[in-house]
Amino acid sequence: MTDKQKKMAKRMSFEQALGKLEELVEQIESGEVGLEESIARYEEGIKLIKQCRAILDAAEKRIQLLAKGEGGQLAPAGELPEVEDQ
Amino acid sequence: MPFGPRLGRTGPPGAEPGDGPVPGERPMTVSALVARIRGALLDAFTAPVAVVGEISNFKRHSSGHLYFSLKDEAATIEAVMFRTAAAAVRFELADGLEVVAEGRVDVYSRQGRLQLYVERLTPKGTGALELAFRQLKERLEREGLFDPSHKKPIVRFPRAIGVVTSPTGAAIRDISRTLRRRWPAARVYLVGVHVQGDQAAGEVAEAIRLLDAAAERFQIDTIIVARGGGSLEDLWAFNTEQVARAIFAARTPVISGVGHEVDFTIADFVADVRAATPTAAAELAVPDAAELRHRLAVLARRLGRRVRENLQAARSALGAVQRSVVFRDPGAQVRSARQHLDELAGRMQIALGRSRRVGERRLARAEARLAGQHPRRLLERAGGRLEGLAHRLAWALGRRAKLAGDALAEQARRLAAAHPAHRLRLARQRVAALRRQLEAMSYRAVLRRGFSVTRLRGGRILRRAAEVAPGDVLETELAEGKVESEVRASPAGRSSRPGNAGQAPTLFGSMEDE
Repeated sequence: MTDKQKKMAKRMSFEQALGKLEELVEQIESGEVGLEESIARYEEGIKLIKQCRAILDAAEKRIQLLAKGEGGQLAPAGELPEVEDQ
Repeated sequence: MPFGPRLGRTGPPGAEPGDGPVPGERPMTVSALVARIRGALLDAFTAPVAVVGEISNFKRHSSGHLYFSLKDEAATIEAVMFRTAAAAVRFELADGLEVVAEGRVDVYSRQGRLQLYVERLTPKGTGALELAFRQLKERLEREGLFDPSHKKPIVRFPRAIGVVTSPTGAAIRDISRTLRRRWPAARVYLVGVHVQGDQAAGEVAEAIRLLDAAAERFQIDTIIVARGGGSLEDLWAFNTEQVARAIFAARTPVISGVGHEVDFTIADFVADVRAATPTAAAELAVPDAAELRHRLAVLARRLGRRVRENLQAARSALGAVQRSVVFRDPGAQVRSARQHLDELAGRMQIALGRSRRVGERRLARAEARLAGQHPRRLLERAGGRLEGLAHRLAWALGRRAKLAGDALAEQARRLAAAHPAHRLRLARQRVAALRRQLEAMSYRAVLRRGFSVTRLRGGRILRRAAEVAPGDVLETELAEGKVESEVRASPAGRSSRPGNAGQAPTLFGSMEDE
């Protein structure tokens, strides 16, 4: 696994981040949390929005090829030559 | 010449049917006989035959060879289909199935048995693939492979997608384009396979198994099995049992996108989600990023707006506190409280004094009222009233007299003023008459006429004899002076003395008197 993949795995998934963000907004809007707490949540929310946008913007350009390698398991086998016909 | 060789091996041409063995000829071996029969048969059937019949006594040997009988109403023939030929049969053989068998007729020498060696077998009436499709579908359905309870939910935001299709086909282009447009964050892994031909089914099934096994390593959340449109023959790999079983066994959710809208494959039935086309499969595999960007923007606005509102509210609350007197002059409240205390103390003093005075006044009033209720005082008050009444009586009489006098004088004045000479005498006469009338109204005038007024001692006027008793002293007022006299007898006096008799008999007595 590459460093990038490890980093991705450690980071929250988009679904988790979006769920957490919705939770934060609802908490702040409900007025149940105090001012200080709501500012802390706001900052957390901003971080999550950035994270979600980063995930949305992280376009993977190429299709990775996998092929049966040693030990009968799939292993990376390069990239698919540009298939986009546009 | 088809019959040429046979002529050379058989008996004399002149032999008649129905004749027994040619006398004198030596008996032949079984092998020779069977060989002769076989030779005759091969001579008769130089080309393959196609036979229509119903399968019975079907047996699949462990070697892979198939054994069965073909029969119709009147006849039966044994049939065998060797492994290599049997592998090409895609539908399932079973007793009762009507088929068209193509092959050669031969003799199995070991058992001296006539057999049909089947090379190709097709179902009668319907296409072999259609039949095979229907048969497999029914079987897998019975087994529960299509059961909705086995369907796994698709991951909403997949990190990576594994695709099983041809690396050169249209399907991967469609999928790639769709995934990139909707959800570019997902990585796409492709395991290239043949999607048609003999190896296709095996490659597709293995690719699914391998991707599923590697799903965790590559964070593959969804597998797409895809192929563009084609004939039933072209799509055949996706109608095989091995692909169906590979899809069913996968722990990773599988979306099938094989063929066009109208094409249904076995893979579609087993897959967790069936998509009509490869593009549709990609659409179902990932969310739409544009929609999510919009959702994020809405959330960001909501998040900021409420916090800004809260901050604004807190700021103005803080401002209000800072501007308040308490904050600017903390001593003010103490001073104010002290002043209030003084005020209260003063008011208390005043209230105390006032209530004492009120009490005293009430006491004095009560004493006065009590004194007023004393019997002597009551008597005094009654006497006073009496005096007042007498006074008012005398005044009223005097006033009437005075009014009459005044009226008289007025008349006199008017008379004198109006006709002094002419009516003076008449007026004088009238004045005299009026004066007499006036005098008659006064009781003193009555007295002068000889009447008198008799009073009891104390002043009360005596009107009834019953009011007096013997011994009472009476005062009688005459026109000139008064006399005092003592009662010698009276109607009340007839009853026994003591003088103050009960009031009731007195009353009756007085009535009797009248």
